[in-house]
Amino acid sequence: MWGHRQALRLLVSRELHQKYRNYRLGYLWAILEPLGMSVTMWFVFQVLLGGRRLGEHPYFLFLTVAILPWWWFTNSISASTKVFQGNTRPLVASLLPTEFMVARVLFTRMGDFLLSLPLVVVAMLITWTFPGPLIVLFPVAMAIQLILMYGLSLFVASISAVVPDFARVVRIILRAAFYLTPVLYAVSNIPKAARAIAPFNPLVGILSLYRLGWWGNEHEGWKAYGISFAIVAATVVLGIVVFKRLEGRILKEA
Amino acid sequence: MARIHLTPDLGHPVMFEEVSLSTSRTRRRSGSGRRHQLRRLAGEASRQQIPLFEQLSVTVEEGEQVAIIGRKASDGGVEFLRLAAGTLIPDAGRVRRRDIVVPIIDNSNMLNANMTVRQNIYQAAAFLGVAPDDVGPRLDWIVEFGGMAKRLDSYLKDAPKNLRQRIIWTVSFATEATCFAVENALVIGDEEFEAKCWDHVEHLKASGVTFLVVDDKHQRLERFCTRALLFDQGRLVADTTVGEALTRLRVTPTSD
Repeated sequence: MWGHRQALRLLVSRELHQKYRNYRLGYLWAILEPLGMSVTMWFVFQVLLGGRRLGEHPYFLFLTVAILPWWWFTNSISASTKVFQGNTRPLVASLLPTEFMVARVLFTRMGDFLLSLPLVVVAMLITWTFPGPLIVLFPVAMAIQLILMYGLSLFVASISAVVPDFARVVRIILRAAFYLTPVLYAVSNIPKAARAIAPFNPLVGILSLYRLGWWGNEHEGWKAYGISFAIVAATVVLGIVVFKRLEGRILKEA
Repeated sequence: MARIHLTPDLGHPVMFEEVSLSTSRTRRRSGSGRRHQLRRLAGEASRQQIPLFEQLSVTVEEGEQVAIIGRKASDGGVEFLRLAAGTLIPDAGRVRRRDIVVPIIDNSNMLNANMTVRQNIYQAAAFLGVAPDDVGPRLDWIVEFGGMAKRLDSYLKDAPKNLRQRIIWTVSFATEATCFAVENALVIGDEEFEAKCWDHVEHLKASGVTFLVVDDKHQRLERFCTRALLFDQGRLVADTTVGEALTRLRVTPTSD
C-alpha cells in the first residue's frame, strides 16, 4: 500500500473536497454535525437528567472528546458496507490494490475527524479545562483507532459484498455499540461486575486513551489496555484474512 | 499488498498458467412446481456458475498483437483482458506478468463529472497507479495529444461527451506501459481523435509494444493483430492467425 500512497492521498483529498464543495458552510459541516450531537447529549444527560453523575467534570468536554472519534468510527464503518456494493466499476480497470477502495473511505472519514478537532479546542476554552502531559496519547489513540478500523472496514466491506443483509446487521450493531461503549459515560460508571469484560470492546481502551490527557483517573490499568489492543490486532488479522478469501468474488462482481 | 504481482525476470510479457475462472451470472429461476413458482413470484434470482476458462495456458510473446475472439459475446473476452491486467483473480492457476499491463476497458466511472478535466486526468492516472508527481512532467503531452487545452479547467460535465474517452485513452498511453489490454479498440465516435490514436498505436506497435485486443470489428483485428486466440465455451479452440480464426468462426457452426 505504501508504494501508492501519493495516489491514495489524491483520491482522498478529491473525495473530501467534493463532499463539501456544494455547501455554503463548506468544511464547517465537519464540525457542526458532531457539535449538534455533543450539545444534544450534553443537554439530555447533564441538564435534563443531571441528577445522576455520569462521566467526568466538565461533562461537555468529556463528551466531545469521545464523540468525535465515535463519529469517525460509526460513519466510516457504515460507509464501508457500501464500498463493494453500488459503484464498483473502477475495480474493472484500476491497477490500485482492491483494499484502496476501503482505505479511501477510511481516510476520507479520518479527514472529517481531523477537520472536526478544533471542536475539542472550543470545548476546552468554554469549560476552561486544559490537558496534562498525557495528551501525547491522543495521537496514539488515533493511530490505534485507525488500525482497528482498517481491519473492521475490510471485514465489513467484504462480508457486505457477499451477503447484502450484513449491512443491516452492522447498522443495528453500531447503534447498540454507541450505548455499550463509554461515550456518554466513563469506564468508572460501568458496574463492577461488567468492568472486567468491558476491555473486550476495543473502543473502551481507545476512548480511555483519548481521555487520559484530561482525566488521568480514566486509567483502568495496563491489563485492560492490553486486552483492548490485542483485540485490535486480532480484528486486523481477521479483516485481512476474510478480505483475501473473498477478493476474487468481489472482483468478479465488479 | 499490491493486487498486481510482477515477475520482472519472466521471459514473456504475460503468461497464463492453467488458469480456470468461472463467472456467476444471475438468472431468473425457472422450472415448475410450487416452490419454483413461489420463488419466481418473489422475483428471486439464482446464481449460476458458468465456466469461462478451464485450465487455460497461454503465453503472450513480446511485441505481439493478440486478438481475443469469442464465438459468442459471452465467451470471456473482457475477462481475459482483466486476468491479464490483474484486475480479476483466477479461481485456480495463475497469471504472471513481467511488467504492468494497462487495461483500456470501459472505465469511465473512474472519472467524476463534478471535477475539472485537469483533476480527472490526475484521478484517472491515480487509478492506473501513476503518482501525481509523475503526471506533472507528462501533462503537456497529455493535453496536447488529447486536444484538451481549451477545456482543461472546465468541469467535465460541461465538456463534450467524447472528452471522457479522450482522457482515458490519453492517460493510458501516457503510462508508457509495454503492454496494453484493450476492449472495443478505439471505438470512440470521434474520427479525428480516433485517427490520431491509430497513428499512435501503430507507432507503439512498431516499437515493440504488446497489445491484447477484444473488438467486434473483425476487419480491424485482421489488419492490426498478428495472432488470434479463438475461444468457445471456455476452451481455447484455436491459436492461429487472425484470418484463419475468423474463417473457422464462419465455417464451423456454433456448438449449441
